[in-house]
Amino acid sequence: MAAPEVHHLFHNPIADHSFSADRKTLAVARESNVELYGRVGKAFKLKDELKGHDKTVTSVDIAPNSGRIVTCSQDRNALVWEPSPQGYKPTLVLLRINRAATFVRWSPSEAKFAVGSGDRVIAVCYFEEENDWWVSKHLKKPIRSTITTVAWHPNSVLLAAGSTDAHARVFSSFIKGVDTKPEPGVWGERLPFNTVCGEYLNNSAGWVHAVGFSPSGDALAFAAHDSSITVVYPSGADEPPRAIVSINTQLMPFMSLIWNGEGEIIAAGYDCEAYRFKGGEGGWQLSGTLEAAKGRPALGGGDREESALNMFRQMDLKGKVSKDDTQLKTVHQNTVTMLRPYETNGERVTKFSSSGVDGRLVIWNA
Amino acid sequence: MSIIQQHTSASLSDAWRTINIDALTEDSSVNFDTSTLHPPLPETSESEVRQLAQQVRQLLRGGDAEGALRGCLEMPVYNGSDLAKEAHLQTVIEVLQSIKASEMTPMLQRIYGTPGGSECLDVLMKYLYKGMATTSGSSSSSSGGGSAPRTPTRMTPQQTGFSQVGARPGAANESTGAAMSVLLSWHEKAVEIAGLGCITRTMTDWRRV
Repeated sequence: MAAPEVHHLFHNPIADHSFSADRKTLAVARESNVELYGRVGKAFKLKDELKGHDKTVTSVDIAPNSGRIVTCSQDRNALVWEPSPQGYKPTLVLLRINRAATFVRWSPSEAKFAVGSGDRVIAVCYFEEENDWWVSKHLKKPIRSTITTVAWHPNSVLLAAGSTDAHARVFSSFIKGVDTKPEPGVWGERLPFNTVCGEYLNNSAGWVHAVGFSPSGDALAFAAHDSSITVVYPSGADEPPRAIVSINTQLMPFMSLIWNGEGEIIAAGYDCEAYRFKGGEGGWQLSGTLEAAKGRPALGGGDREESALNMFRQMDLKGKVSKDDTQLKTVHQNTVTMLRPYETNGERVTKFSSSGVDGRLVIWNA
Repeated sequence: MSIIQQHTSASLSDAWRTINIDALTEDSSVNFDTSTLHPPLPETSESEVRQLAQQVRQLLRGGDAEGALRGCLEMPVYNGSDLAKEAHLQTVIEVLQSIKASEMTPMLQRIYGTPGGSECLDVLMKYLYKGMATTSGSSSSSSGGGSAPRTPTRMTPQQTGFSQVGARPGAANESTGAAMSVLLSWHEKAVEIAGLGCITRTMTDWRRV
């Protein structure tokens, strides 16, 4: 397997990154700006900066077909950047929220986008032709805390959201005149705006960091701060799900996950590397790390983690922990916060990209 | 002038500054209902806990330490009176103290390998932390009605090795130190097998023991 392509962009955390459809442009959220990088040979060169927010930018997403970029920030605003020959032109979106905007994603139809916020609402935004203005409608009902993440169903109507109230939820974001009526499916039959199609909680709770629909849209996976991944297989409107499979791992919590076909999930987080999960309705299993095992002890074995007892004993004896190495054995040197499909072949992801707190962007072979 | 005349003694004092506004704001985080963060939990009564303790002791006397450990980890007291929770903690610590150090790892490995074993180790981790937070665990097994109080008391912060002036708390109450070292070695073994995920789950879980 070819080695991953590593780009150390800068020494700041990357809150979010997004590639354009041709993979030549990379948008990276850095502090209160969004930087646009262009591919030059094997490297990425800074070619433009989108300045418009005055607080930390929390999320960025490029629409693959229209090329529009949407960004959102802790300054409670979202901006849509329209590509034009003179550069990108920002348009402010009326989100009507009183807390930071935390996460934004275009719907697959690119007619809408959803913004999660600390105001316990999700703003579903769409363009109103007659007013020439982006407007938003709020998904509000059972949300009790900050929305940390959202993900779209392939039909552009259903929206999954993860929250710090430890619940992952599936909503309908149907907007008349923008969406076509969805086919009845496993998530429900009639889907007016703000229908709650599912609400899921792990036994050991924990903030939900990442959600994702499987390629068919018939299953939902979420990763929470209890170091677990949960996959939900719904069976229809007002019926309990067919199966809820929860994998409690031995690892640190995951911050992001992507599906690779219906039977595989790739997740990464505080362990600074990506792991592969395999399974289906009958059960899921951690199948290993995606990093080439090169002089590294196997998962869970060896002395990778010092026990608390040993660490304190060392500190007592020598005033420090024995090992002085500050270099992690993983490619990323800090928490991975975002995974994105980079190259796909039908339902399969052939390459994916990851970014993290260490300012690195890495393109992996899945 | 008219505005000033409307001031009363109450509005001129600054007592209003001490009003806890958060408690009055419905949307505030202090009013967050944490019972929404866990599934409904069945209540465990004190008599049930005592009954389980009897069974566990019987298993221990019969030499089945693993069965005893499993037995008390499969029935954690999530919803019960403080006395019931305390009594169950004593049972768990009693079992932990009766198992030899060399037995720990193989036993945990066997438990972890069985269905529901991961959950068992999570519960064990919760009791280890609870045990470390209270000192009453030390006396119960060794000397019935010992000097330590029955109610949980907070551990005084351990002094560092630098200060030799006062008596070391560990030396004053040797059994506390011994109990702590048992808990710490179980902690080490549990992390070896169930990983750091086990600790993060102890922190996120609202089903408290």
